[in-house]
Amino acid sequence: MRTRHRLRARRQGDAAELLMALRPPAEWVLSAALRRLARRRPEVFERLGAFGEAAFVIVPDGSPVAFRLAPQGASAGVQVRRRNDRSPSVARIEGPLGALLGLFDGSVDADAAFFSRAIRVSGDIEAVMALHNTLEAADLTLADLLGLSGPASQMANEAVRFARTAASAKAAWA
Amino acid sequence: MGSIELVCPAGSPAMLRAAIEAGADSVYCGLRDETNARNFPGLNFSPAELKAAAAWAHDRGGKVLVAVNTFARAGEVDAWRASVDSAAAAGADAIIVADLGVLAYAQAQHPGLRLHLSVQAAAGSAEAIAFYAQAYGVKRVVLPRVLSAPEIAALVRETDVEVEAFVYGGLCVMAEGRCALSSYATGKSPNLAGVCSPPEAVSLEETDGLLTPRLGGFMIDQVAPGTAAGYPTLCKGRFEAEGTASHLFEDPTSLNAMALLAELRTAGVRAVKIEGRQRGKAYVARVAGAFRAALDALDRGETTAPYEARLTGLAEGGRETAGAYRKAWR
Repeated sequence: MRTRHRLRARRQGDAAELLMALRPPAEWVLSAALRRLARRRPEVFERLGAFGEAAFVIVPDGSPVAFRLAPQGASAGVQVRRRNDRSPSVARIEGPLGALLGLFDGSVDADAAFFSRAIRVSGDIEAVMALHNTLEAADLTLADLLGLSGPASQMANEAVRFARTAASAKAAWA
Repeated sequence: MGSIELVCPAGSPAMLRAAIEAGADSVYCGLRDETNARNFPGLNFSPAELKAAAAWAHDRGGKVLVAVNTFARAGEVDAWRASVDSAAAAGADAIIVADLGVLAYAQAQHPGLRLHLSVQAAAGSAEAIAFYAQAYGVKRVVLPRVLSAPEIAALVRETDVEVEAFVYGGLCVMAEGRCALSSYATGKSPNLAGVCSPPEAVSLEETDGLLTPRLGGFMIDQVAPGTAAGYPTLCKGRFEAEGTASHLFEDPTSLNAMALLAELRTAGVRAVKIEGRQRGKAYVARVAGAFRAALDALDRGETTAPYEARLTGLAEGGRETAGAYRKAWR
């Protein structure tokens, strides 16, 4: 049992090292998409009010890395951090990757995810609520998150729709 | 529209569109300030957004009802008057008001603007409703969530004012508009500031799956790992009395009165309302869709039973109740 636990920890450590090595291109793509969105739709960020320059840490369950999101200001962008990194942030949001993406595009009901304990939040709850309401109003898609446009954008959004339908069907049969 | 109007919540233009597209006849929303009872960060409409959203809804046959339903602070009534003016300028089909001064202002300044009495006014008798109708020309009353279905039927027989009743979403245990629990713990109340349990006063701590919510520094519950949680409000908290921990004020559950739609229609209820402007697009699309299907089934003379399980998983604390409509505790 202890050996299996050690092996799993080592595998996670290896995955973290690999993802941290890939950090620069991922940060570049995500940050560029965020800045492009800010230029294209500045009204989206108005809803963040006082939290426009705050940093939020998003942590997918099972992932060895976390994402530090700063929507606006001098340090606007997305940084990839180690999961246990505790550098200053206004709030931390944790949950399954699918649920986190669902919160991003508004296809998941955040309150229901909180009631069911699928999503865990800590830190400044006012900031979390401002971020949630901002994303809700923004009507964003996965393509917006990745900065895609044209046919690539349609393909990304179709892929998400297909994955969700497949997941729902699987849940219905479970 | 069928025999009953379906009124759904909208916390943003995107949520308004989702509600109408899912089958809402009307949406209710508020401006981005303390003049409405969902004054949460990032939520609600600017005056320009409200105008555009109203035009969008009207093009699709939908109505927009604007909540200006908190109580104006003495000496600072300008914000409430400005909200009434913004709603009228946006082309709102009605405003939803609780405060006598705001009602008087709206009636005097915008005589053509339809007035609905908010649930916050807690008008639960024919005499109270008649007063609002005679004094301010109120055309519809949103009933407080403390009446049973037979009590509603009796009330409708005694009034000419349209009656709107909540059928889904969060519940308040106190007489509407008179709760001081949030104010006691945080200094802010839904009645005056438009926020119950303001998020800046909430902290959530989770250790090994044990969730500890605090409000204004008061620990209000400890939720065991894997157990469904509720909103971090004092009324949904769990407290120890005489050695036993329990929900002293109210269990964390959501109202679901879909099974009572036929009874409410027979009682003469004109509109049914969904709570939850703070919830979002996914919520309103699912709830509006389920209630649209149920109301259409009723109009076809069919049962609502097939649609009653469609809302599983949305409820606070993972549980639903028919609330005061059935008054099972009596």
